[in-house]
Amino acid sequence: MSDSGKPMIALEGISKTYPKAAAPAVQELNLEVPEGTISMFIGPSGCGKTTTLKMMNRLIEPTTGRILLDGEDVTTVNADELRRRIGYVIQQVGLFPHFTIADNIAVVPKILGWDRNRITARVDELLHLVGLEPKDYRDRYPRQLSGGQQQRIGVARGLAADPSVMLMDEPFGAIDPITRDRLQDEFLELQQQIAKTICFVTHDLSEAVKLGDRIAVFGPGGTLQQYDTPDNVLTHPANEFVGEFVGSGAAVRRLSLLELSRLELQSVGLDGTGERNGAPTYEADAEGRPVRWAYLPGTQARPKLVTVPHTGTVYDAVDVMLDSQTELVGVVDGEQRLQGALWWKDLVEGLKTKGQA
Amino acid sequence: MSASAAEATGTAQAPDTPRRTRTKIDKALIVNPIIAVVGLAAVFAYAAVQGLDDVERSVINAEELGRRLWEHLLLTGLSTLVVIVVAIPAGVALSRPGAGRVQRPVLAFAGFMQALPAFGVIVLLAFSPLGLGLPTAVVALAIAALLPVLTNTVVGLQQVDRALIEAARGIGMSARQTLFRVELPLATPVMVAGVRVALVLNVGTAALATYIGAGGLGEPIKGMLELGRPTGTLVAAAIVAALALIVDWLAGLAEYAVRRNAG
Repeated sequence: MSDSGKPMIALEGISKTYPKAAAPAVQELNLEVPEGTISMFIGPSGCGKTTTLKMMNRLIEPTTGRILLDGEDVTTVNADELRRRIGYVIQQVGLFPHFTIADNIAVVPKILGWDRNRITARVDELLHLVGLEPKDYRDRYPRQLSGGQQQRIGVARGLAADPSVMLMDEPFGAIDPITRDRLQDEFLELQQQIAKTICFVTHDLSEAVKLGDRIAVFGPGGTLQQYDTPDNVLTHPANEFVGEFVGSGAAVRRLSLLELSRLELQSVGLDGTGERNGAPTYEADAEGRPVRWAYLPGTQARPKLVTVPHTGTVYDAVDVMLDSQTELVGVVDGEQRLQGALWWKDLVEGLKTKGQA
Repeated sequence: MSASAAEATGTAQAPDTPRRTRTKIDKALIVNPIIAVVGLAAVFAYAAVQGLDDVERSVINAEELGRRLWEHLLLTGLSTLVVIVVAIPAGVALSRPGAGRVQRPVLAFAGFMQALPAFGVIVLLAFSPLGLGLPTAVVALAIAALLPVLTNTVVGLQQVDRALIEAARGIGMSARQTLFRVELPLATPVMVAGVRVALVLNVGTAALATYIGAGGLGEPIKGMLELGRPTGTLVAAAIVAALALIVDWLAGLAEYAVRRNAG
């Protein structure tokens, strides 16, 4: 989390009541998105998450309240000019079918009056960034691309004028699960490079947990129920509504948030090097890589020694245990040295993170 | 992000297609000009065999027919131009979000005008301050041909994917830029089809302009009819029919080209 704390985009007391509607769609919303972080907007249908997103670039004008972009009040500035400073990506992608890929990406730079060389260079740079070879894709038309490729172009178009804020409305919602998973991974990698301030609407809790630095849970009547880190939303729901929304599966989802390197692991010893102290010992090969368990306390069984890298999450460790039907998994560092072990019963009895008493 | 070949073919949305899926050429675009030329040649051959008398020859000759043809094209062209200048901006205005409530009544009124017999409009307008002559005929023809262009403009703009308009506005295109760079280009094929209908209507109806002294190819038809010269009438009528087919053919080619470009 590259959280500098400074809000890049802030909503102050934002409400939206549609004409003729009895109840407001969004109510008295206060929300700050720190610079360089991803905030995920989630909630049931009709809870105002998309409305909130669209008020940030004033596609929907708020009834009351203020919108601050990097400290500047943008509630009443020219909306078209405001939107050119904010990237926008939607689920339907919305590439212009009569424009080439290059022209689609170049729309905003052209409006901003960039010169031709700068636009060409920027288009190629963005195509590289989203993993499409410029010379192959520049002159194609949108319908010649797959859904996943089209959304990459959608993202590239949103980034074209290098906005500091990106608004994304379920960008991966219409994409098949396998491609979606890959796009999410690539999106996180991309964010490592570009460090934009991103607001991202989703209806998929797994996506919210995977991508978000923060999750904003919206509830009935467009109220913000909780705005916190994924870990806190899953482990400490602010109220009954959030608890129910996060619902069953929260505990399992949380596993993918816990990196093994953050855990207090069961210590292990190399066989024959000293006292056991009740800790498991293992045999290693010439390079010091673990080969098999030599001693396990309290059991005569010698399960296969399986390992996971310490950069993985508890979710990966569970996956390995289930896969190889063992109760114990070794956690190894980058050089394949055993750092410690994780027992199945540790999961049930509660995991200890480092620094915890 | 990295794209793989597997994804290019593996996802559900858009398989690779050639850049220009071939827009099917309408068979009428090949058959109509042949009918026009063959039919006209047959009528001319028949007239040559029958022979024309002096009265017929005073009307059915290259110089006279050339003049009438020019008048006819002028009537058709000007009235279609008026239709375009009036109906397209009107259609654009009617399809703006603010015009939702007036759209139906206006289209209903245009439909009512369409239902008026063109001949009646032409004659009635002659009694208006416009009087007899070409301008009256042009206005009358334009009124009778307004509807197809108006409705096609509205429909053409309505069928533009809302997501495209949202994307355009969302990334910072103004309403005007969205209209001219996204909506109108994507509506063009439908609008051109409407103009084609108006053009063909006008070619036919322009033959009635002669009754208010606006000339055109109706002139020799009327003349020959009144003088009881069936061969001369046939020749003049065949020219109007062939002209309608050829104008339709040319407009059809233009429509085909636009559709191909719009993909």
